[in-house]
Amino acid sequence: MLNFTPEERKITLFLLSLALCGLVLNNLIKVNCRIERMVYPPIQLARLNLNKVNLAELAAVKCVSAVLARRILEYRDLRKKFNSLEELKEIKGIGDQRYSKLKELFYIE
Amino acid sequence: MKRLLVILAVFYCLGIILAGLLRINFWVITVSATAIFAAVILWGRKNGIFLAAVLFLALLVGYLNTRNSWVLSNCHIYKLVAYKDSALYWLNGRIVSQPEFKNNRLWFILRVREIQLDKLRYKCCGEVLIKMDFEQALNYGDDLTLAGNLTRPPGFGRSRGYRDFLARQGIYLIMPIKDYRQIIRQDKFNGVGFIRGCFWLRNYLEQVIRRHLPALPASILAAMVLGQKRDIPWLVNNSMVKSGTVHILVVSGFNVGIVAFMINLLLKILRLGRKARIILIAICLLVYCAITGATNPVIRATVMSLVFLAAYLLRREPDIYNSLTSAALFILVINPRQLFDIGFQLSFISVLAIVYFYPKFETLVHLEAWRSKILKFFAQGCLVSFSAWLGTLAIIALNFRIIAPVTVLANILIVPLATLITLCGFTLVLSGLIYPDLANLISLPTAALITLLLNLNAALIKLPFAFFYL
Repeated sequence: MLNFTPEERKITLFLLSLALCGLVLNNLIKVNCRIERMVYPPIQLARLNLNKVNLAELAAVKCVSAVLARRILEYRDLRKKFNSLEELKEIKGIGDQRYSKLKELFYIE
Repeated sequence: MKRLLVILAVFYCLGIILAGLLRINFWVITVSATAIFAAVILWGRKNGIFLAAVLFLALLVGYLNTRNSWVLSNCHIYKLVAYKDSALYWLNGRIVSQPEFKNNRLWFILRVREIQLDKLRYKCCGEVLIKMDFEQALNYGDDLTLAGNLTRPPGFGRSRGYRDFLARQGIYLIMPIKDYRQIIRQDKFNGVGFIRGCFWLRNYLEQVIRRHLPALPASILAAMVLGQKRDIPWLVNNSMVKSGTVHILVVSGFNVGIVAFMINLLLKILRLGRKARIILIAICLLVYCAITGATNPVIRATVMSLVFLAAYLLRREPDIYNSLTSAALFILVINPRQLFDIGFQLSFISVLAIVYFYPKFETLVHLEAWRSKILKFFAQGCLVSFSAWLGTLAIIALNFRIIAPVTVLANILIVPLATLITLCGFTLVLSGLIYPDLANLISLPTAALITLLLNLNAALIKLPFAFFYL
């Protein structure tokens, strides 16, 4: 009855296993919301924490020169921490243009 | 000679390199090439002489094609604009690329038809890169009139990377647009319907991905399946460069292979004949190439696949070196300056290194004799990864000033994972089109695999001596 070729069998199995994995994960997410954090990538993998970043990491970021990196860290030390990304605009050398790029690179925790 | 095409391509490339080094007059070389051509026709009966003359001719053609690509036509817009000019120009033309919103700006290429300065109007040709500080609904093929200043691309001192990159694509000028009033949109479509259809399909498929996944995994999947890299966060891209696995974020031969496999399977189920299947697969591959933006790796993979399909159609034995060379020649005949493009070099050299080194390493470690299938699979992964790393090591070290010993290990772990993600991605897109509820289920394991990939990559670059800058 099921006259499948080997490739068709492999694809059917692949689709079924994917759907099964999806069902299991869906159920686990409903039961325990911590699982959701494991399934979806955390923000730390895509952005740098502005309150924890060090000078070397900051200077390696595109559109941040060594001088600007030092200014950002001086500002952070002065204020103890950043409360919002908007505060970056108060630093000399960060205008609207640069800020629009920087806000995509950092997050605040 | 089985691989004459390979030798011809080598001489053609030598001609391109010589064009960058020597400054011999174009017409002197043309006359020499014509003389050699005539001599071959008249006296080239002996095989040795004929071969030598043909190879020399290939070298001269490479030289001439490169020199010719540097010469701009008299009506080119670059010749009509003075250096460091702040005048207001009016440009009339059509959009020839899909506008992309990147770094808070809308970027697209305008093919210019007419330029106006004060009240003087000239017919002209050439392309200009437009950067707009705001978002607007523009599409490929739209007819526009733009007003603004024309500037040369920035060179940044000695390194003229960006300027050279744009010049290789035939772009010598940029027009910044800061205000809505600088644009007048004509209500007519002036492009190629097929390309517009491909761009529409790409946008639609991208929307399907974004509908089922959060922003970060969606951006990674869009890059792996549709070649759309614009939304990938800088940190992700940078960490993949460090681990030498950034190649998984582009559409490559593997993706083209998956598309060919899927179409073939579908057509087999529909009980189509062999010839009809091959022709339909070829058409689908061309559409996929256009959808993904026809970048160098995709063109390479598509041309190689087409050569293989043609060989199957004609019942001839395909040769990987000849198909790779055809792909290289296809790109270099259209634009010889692509030889100096880093993406072109990496794409071809990595495949060449795998094809050349892998069988040698396989014989060296007597892989055929290994009994354990798991160990054999692992060893094959290691050898493929090591071959590609060995081939691209010098280019990466010279261009990116980075050596990443972690690359071999990273590729062994990440490439199978990326393969699985790509398969899930294609399944997600297809099920999203046909049956969205199933796509919702598939999106969860896909997102989990992407999370695993990103965590693994982040952990690998933290290993001691993972990478170092030169």
